[in-house]
Amino acid sequence: MFKRKPNLAAGGPVTEAIEASPGLEGGAGANAPTLAADAGVLSAGARAAAGSPFNSKAEAAGLVKTADILLLASLFLITLGGYHIHAMLTMGDWDFWIDWKDRRFWPTVLPIVLVTFPAAAQAYFWESFRLPFGATFLVLGLLFGEWVNRYTNFWGWTYFPISLVWPTSLVPAALFLDIVLLLSRSFIVTAIVGAMGWGLLLYPSNWPILAPYHQATEQYGLLMSLADLIGFEYVRTSMPEYLRIVERGTMRTFGKDVVAVAAFFSGFVSILVYFWWWYVGKLFSTVAYTKEV
Amino acid sequence: MKTSVFSTLAGHAKRQAGRLWALGLAVGLAASMAGSGPADAHGEKSQAAFLRMRTLNWYDVKWSKTSLNVNEEMEITGKLHIMDAWPVAVAKPEVAFLNVGMPGPVLVREGSFLGGKFVPRSTSLELGKTYEFRVLLKARRQGRWHVHTQLSVQTGGPIIGPGQWVEIKGDMADFKNPVTLLNGEVIDLEQYKIGNIYFWHTVWFIAGVAWVFYWFRKRGFVGRYISVASGKGGELITPLERQIGAGALAATLLVVIISYALTASEFPRTIPLQAGNIRAIDALNIPESPIKVEYLRGTYKVPGRELVATYKITNTGKEPVRVGEFATATLRFLNPDVYTQKVDYPEYILAERGLSLSDNAPIAPGETKELTVKVQDARWDTERLADLAYDVDSSFAGLMFFFTPSGARYEVETGGPVIPEFLPI
Ligand SMILES: [Cu+2]
Repeated sequence: MFKRKPNLAAGGPVTEAIEASPGLEGGAGANAPTLAADAGVLSAGARAAAGSPFNSKAEAAGLVKTADILLLASLFLITLGGYHIHAMLTMGDWDFWIDWKDRRFWPTVLPIVLVTFPAAAQAYFWESFRLPFGATFLVLGLLFGEWVNRYTNFWGWTYFPISLVWPTSLVPAALFLDIVLLLSRSFIVTAIVGAMGWGLLLYPSNWPILAPYHQATEQYGLLMSLADLIGFEYVRTSMPEYLRIVERGTMRTFGKDVVAVAAFFSGFVSILVYFWWWYVGKLFSTVAYTKEV
Repeated sequence: MKTSVFSTLAGHAKRQAGRLWALGLAVGLAASMAGSGPADAHGEKSQAAFLRMRTLNWYDVKWSKTSLNVNEEMEITGKLHIMDAWPVAVAKPEVAFLNVGMPGPVLVREGSFLGGKFVPRSTSLELGKTYEFRVLLKARRQGRWHVHTQLSVQTGGPIIGPGQWVEIKGDMADFKNPVTLLNGEVIDLEQYKIGNIYFWHTVWFIAGVAWVFYWFRKRGFVGRYISVASGKGGELITPLERQIGAGALAATLLVVIISYALTASEFPRTIPLQAGNIRAIDALNIPESPIKVEYLRGTYKVPGRELVATYKITNTGKEPVRVGEFATATLRFLNPDVYTQKVDYPEYILAERGLSLSDNAPIAPGETKELTVKVQDARWDTERLADLAYDVDSSFAGLMFFFTPSGARYEVETGGPVIPEFLPI
């Protein structure tokens, strides 16, 4: 009944037989498929003979382009939705609030839980299309969704300043992951080098945004960072201070170098998660269809 | 057999439809979850009656202003009594945070103090003690807002204090929030470096979009899919494209490193987030009251608006005393014989004639008297205290205030098990 077949079956995809069009056919083994761009304009007679639905090469090319753009737009929205809900459910409040973006948990948790969908997307875009933008594409979707949420909900409805609620910058780490895949052409290298870099890059690539808020101020005899002060002053009724999970743990001997330790650990776990989610991505890229009902 | 790429893709999409639908559902769910921020209803009445009566008692609460302009300051002051009757169902306030209940940051909290100590972080409070509190607020957003004090207790949740309507006039656009840094520089925390956040996110967003379109522009999905499917995937990426990729990688890393270095030199002195609880909060030193109160029994009507409790009260002091008030769950029931002047307190929780006694004569020094106290007011019902009948622990508690002719006031925590009288509905 149910037949699974990977996209990359030798000899091209096997699908239900539909009267093929010139230049856009995928041969079931016999003929290698040809690109539309390579096919010449057929005479009316030839076209009729071939049973083509297209009037011209230009029309075929135009339709391909339309399909491409529709696919790009819908993939963007679909992955945005999936990745965004995954992020919100797993990354906790570390991405939401500036007074949670600490040196231990934020650079540890975020890369690990967020490398998931980019790894799966790389499997899909690379294996099916040789497109080295899976991670960037997903991260752009996530950031787009997050910004819509932060701007319209957190600022637009409740007036939390953007300095309290900005999302973590992820594009540099995603570009790194994508380009490692492009250059190495190997998902194993990408997992090891790329995912490690993905983990290591989070903190330094966010520091230009975060650093000003880690300046010190004295409030009634107590030392506070501006990030702490923003979190205190802009009241979150349902977010009492004790909910914060920041700067806890046992890495005391590392002192102020704790970020590097957290980042390496995060990168290491990201490697493992990358492997796992690359296969999730492959699984989702397979074609399964019903032969009969 | 001939097949078309379109049909492959179409079939692919069709088969993915179920997954897409599930994702769509998830997106909708996410959107609705994100939308539910702090709202106008703070659930004051939704918490169990015994919990509201027996955890905390906020008293002498004053809002220094109820009408102010943007940038103007106000404060909420008063006393917070941590009840001895604290129910076992709620975690003790060993980790607690003095909070404010309001619909978002309509005022900013410039300071909050317990026992005179600044408490921007969590703290530890003891049962049976009374603490002085002060919350300093600055008007930010125009409108009419219900502003509460609130104590959030770890694993116990928020315990809300009395709320007051605060009217703010003006325009949030004029709001300023100057903060002095340790190096002496004064910044406006409301706007500080927000442009920088947008700048970096925009730069990287553009870089990401450029990267995607660079690859997408030439052949899109269909063309590339055909190549890969026909085994020509290896030829899809040209050496030039690979070089451009290497260049993009170098540029990305360079921008990260340079911007990091520039930031580090611009802000050489940074500190980590400050965390950890603030201990050793001074409790108020309340002298032992000369009044001994022994609770004998009590009943209340369900549904209804009345609680009747009998006490044995001994006055060991030098002055006669009268019961003037019973306060519980932010409600104040006053004895009009004692409170002859108007009391400034939110009307929805103030029962000006809510307390009556079986014997209105003062308790003389040295006298022991059995006194039946009747708490009777519609607010007992509207604030849902009669719901005690449905709580796991049918006991009430509150503070009873005694007054002497010379103006001294003694507060005594009282309470105990009560028996409901079910009325036909
Ligand atoms: Cu309210």
